Amino acid sequence: MSTIQVTINKKAAKSSLASKKSSWSSRIINLFFCALSILLIIPLILVISISFTDEKTLLQHGYHLLPEKFSLEAYSLIFKSPGVLLNAYGITILVTVIGTVIGLFLTSLTAYTISRKDYRYRKPMTLYVFFTTLFSGGLVPFYIMVTQYLHLKDTMWALIVPYLLSPFYILVMKGFLDKIPLEVIESGKIDGASEWRIFFTIVLPLSLPALVTIGLFISFQYWNDWWLGLLFIDDQKLVPLQLMLYRVMSTIEYLSNNMSTVNVSIDMTQFPSLSARMAMAVLAAGPMMIVFPMLQRFFISGLTVGSVKG
Amino acid sequence: MKKQWLKLFAGVISFVLVLTACGGAKEEQKAADGKQNEELPPVELVWNFPLSAIPQDLATVQEAVNKITKEKINATVKLQAHTFADYNQKMNTIVASGEKYDVAWVANWNWDYLQNQSKGAFLELDDLIQQNAPDLLKSMPDFVWDAAKIQGKIYAIPNYQTVTKKEGFVIQKRFADIYNLDVSSIKKFEDIEPFLKQIKEGESPDVVPFLNDKSGRFSLMYQSQGLEAINNVVGVELQNPDKPINLFETPQYKHYLDVMRDWYTKGYINENAATLKNKNDIIKTGNAAVQFHNVLKPGGEVEAKAANGGNDVIYVPITDAYASTGTVITTMQSISKNSKNPERAMMFINLLNTDKELYNAISYGVEGKHYKKVSDNVVQINKDGGYAPNANWVFGNTFNAYLVEGMDPSVMEQTKKENETAQKSPLMGFKFDNTPVMAEIANLATVIDEHLPGLDTGTVDPNTNLKVFQDKLKQAGIDKVIEEMAKQIEAWKQTK
Repeated sequence: MSTIQVTINKKAAKSSLASKKSSWSSRIINLFFCALSILLIIPLILVISISFTDEKTLLQHGYHLLPEKFSLEAYSLIFKSPGVLLNAYGITILVTVIGTVIGLFLTSLTAYTISRKDYRYRKPMTLYVFFTTLFSGGLVPFYIMVTQYLHLKDTMWALIVPYLLSPFYILVMKGFLDKIPLEVIESGKIDGASEWRIFFTIVLPLSLPALVTIGLFISFQYWNDWWLGLLFIDDQKLVPLQLMLYRVMSTIEYLSNNMSTVNVSIDMTQFPSLSARMAMAVLAAGPMMIVFPMLQRFFISGLTVGSVKG
Repeated sequence: MKKQWLKLFAGVISFVLVLTACGGAKEEQKAADGKQNEELPPVELVWNFPLSAIPQDLATVQEAVNKITKEKINATVKLQAHTFADYNQKMNTIVASGEKYDVAWVANWNWDYLQNQSKGAFLELDDLIQQNAPDLLKSMPDFVWDAAKIQGKIYAIPNYQTVTKKEGFVIQKRFADIYNLDVSSIKKFEDIEPFLKQIKEGESPDVVPFLNDKSGRFSLMYQSQGLEAINNVVGVELQNPDKPINLFETPQYKHYLDVMRDWYTKGYINENAATLKNKNDIIKTGNAAVQFHNVLKPGGEVEAKAANGGNDVIYVPITDAYASTGTVITTMQSISKNSKNPERAMMFINLLNTDKELYNAISYGVEGKHYKKVSDNVVQINKDGGYAPNANWVFGNTFNAYLVEGMDPSVMEQTKKENETAQKSPLMGFKFDNTPVMAEIANLATVIDEHLPGLDTGTVDPNTNLKVFQDKLKQAGIDKVIEEMAKQIEAWKQTK
C-alpha cells in the first residue's frame, strides 16, 4: 500500500518541479519523507551496530550508531553451530512459500466467487466471510480444532493452514475484483471457455496488482509469525526462525522480571549476550531486507501495469 | 456450472483429507514399541516442564530416561519441554482444551499452583502417595508437605531443594578488601551506608555503589523488617500473623523510603534505577558493588561469581534462614485430572525424587555425550553437547544430584541443615485465593506500576509522593483485599 503512495508522491514531485511555484511544497514533502526514512532506518542501523560491538564495551558504554569497539564474536558464536539457525531458516522459507502460494490461490478463488454478480448467494456468502472478521471462536476452540480435529500438532501444516484464508484479504481482493466488468467474463463464456479457464486466463491476469499486494501481505505474515509455532510446535526440528528468536528474547525478559524474589537459581549467563541476540535478529531479517528491494521493482511495475489495463 | 462447483468441492475435500492423514500416522507407532514386562501394562506418560531454553538433544535424553522407566515401572515418558516465558500460556491452553498429559511442573511464580488447582486442573494426590510412593513422604520434612497443601490436601509434590531464604548483601570482594569492610558490623540494611560512601568517593563513576532497579528492594527485605508478604501489597507483621495489613502503610516502608531517598540524593544508587528492567546487564560488568538479595543460599557465591562477570563476591546475611509457603512451593510436579494413568504417573514422580540414576539422567543428560564424570559424584558439563538445562530443581529432589565441578561438596549438607533448622512462617501452608478480588488486584497492580519504581529507588521524594501512592491504593480497593484475606486466614486456621 505504501509503495503506491510513494509512487504517487514521486510522480507529483516530478510534475511539480516543472512549475517553480510549487517547488516549495515538493521540498517540504521530500524533507518529510527524508525525516521519516531516517526515523525508520536508525533503529535498524543500531541493531546492526550492536551486533558488531564488543560485548563488554556495550555493557559499559551503551549503544552507539557506530560500533565503539568492533568485534565479530557474536557472529562467530552463532556460526560455530549454525545447524539450528539453518534449520529454522529452512522451515520459515518453506512455510512462507507454500503458505503464500496456496493462500493466494484460495483467497482469490473465494473472492472471485463472491464478487460474481451472477452468483445467487453472493450476499449471504459475503456476510459469512465478513462475520468472521467481527467474531471468532477464541483461542481455546481454535486450539482444539487444530490439535484434536485436524491433528496438525507438531506438523508443518500447523504453521500453514491457519493463515491460508484471512477474511480481510478476501474482502480487499473482492473489492478489486468487483471492478472487473461482468461483460468480460460473459464474452469468455460466449467463446466457450470453462469457468476454470475464465478464472485462470482472464480474471487472474487482470487482477495481477491485487495478487501481488495480497501475496506480499500473506508472505510477510508467514515470515514474521511465531504465534502458531508457539502454540502447536514441540518438535525442535520444526521451529521457525521468528519463534526461535522470540523464545530467547521473551525468556530473558520473563526471568529478569520474575526471578529476583524466587529462591530457585537460574544461570542468566547461559543466554546469548546482547550482541549475539542482535546478530541473530540481523541474520533473521537480513534476507528479507535484500529480497524485498529487489522485488520491489516488480511490485511497482506490476501495480502500474494493472492500473493501465483496469 | 454445477459440474465446476462439484470439482472445486472435491478439490477442497481431498486437500483436507491429505492434511488429516499427515497428522494421524504418528501416534500408532509409539504404542507398538513397548515390550511386556512384569504385571504392569505398558503406558506412555506425557510430562510438561519449563526450562530456560528447549534443549536441542532432548530426544537422546528421552531415550535414556525411558530405558530406566521402562525397566522399573514399564512406562515410557514423553518429555515436553517449554520455555519459562511460554509455559503459563502453553499450559493454560493445554488444560483448557482438555489435551491429554499426565505430569506437569507447577509453581507459585509461573503457571500458578493455587489458581489452577481452583480451576480443577490437578488430581488430589494424598491416596496416590500412600499407595505408590511411600518413600516419598519420608524424603522431605513435614513442613514442606504442609506448604504444598490446599485445604488440607496435597495437589502437587515439591521438588525438594533450598526451601528457605535469607536476606542480606552481595558485595564485590575486591571492594570489601580495599576498604576493610567489617562484615560483623552489618546487622541492618542501613548499616552498609559508610561502605557505600567509601565506594562513591574512592571508585570510578562506572561503579554503582548500591544497585537498585524498577522493582525496588523493599520487596526483598520483608523478613528483616519483621514482615511477611502474602501478595505484593498485603502482608502480615510476624508478631501478629492473623491480621493482614497494607505493606505500603507500615512504618518500615516509610523508613526504607527515607533511606533510599537519602542514598539516591547522595549518588549511591544508579540513576536509571526507576526505569531499569534488567539489572543483570549491570551485574554482568562486575560494577555493582553492593546488591541486596533475599536468597543467600549456601554455596551461592559460586553462581553469583559467574553472574558478576567472574568477580568474586561475598555474602553478608542480615537474617537467619526462613521458610514460608512461598519459599517452598516454587517448584513442584502435579498430575493432571485427565490423566489416564495416575498411578503410573505417581510412580514416575516417586522415581524422579528417589532414583538417583533417573534423576541425574534428566538433570545432566547422557554420560560421555552431555557430561563427563570427573569423580564418582562430580560431573563436568559439556556446554556444546546439546543438553545442559542447568536447572535441576525443575525435575525432582536436588539432593540426589551429582555435584557440578567447582561446587563445594559441603553445600548440600549445609542446605539440608538450613532447611531443617529454618525459622518457619506462622502462616505455613496458607495461600491467598485472589479470585473474589480479581478486579481490585488488577487495579492495585496498575497503581503499583505507576508509583513504586520512583519511590522505591529514591528517585522521587517520599514526603510528597508516598501519601499520593497510599491514597491511590485505597481508591483501587486495597481495603477489600485486606478484608478478604483476613476472612481466608480465619478459614484456613479452621482447617489446620
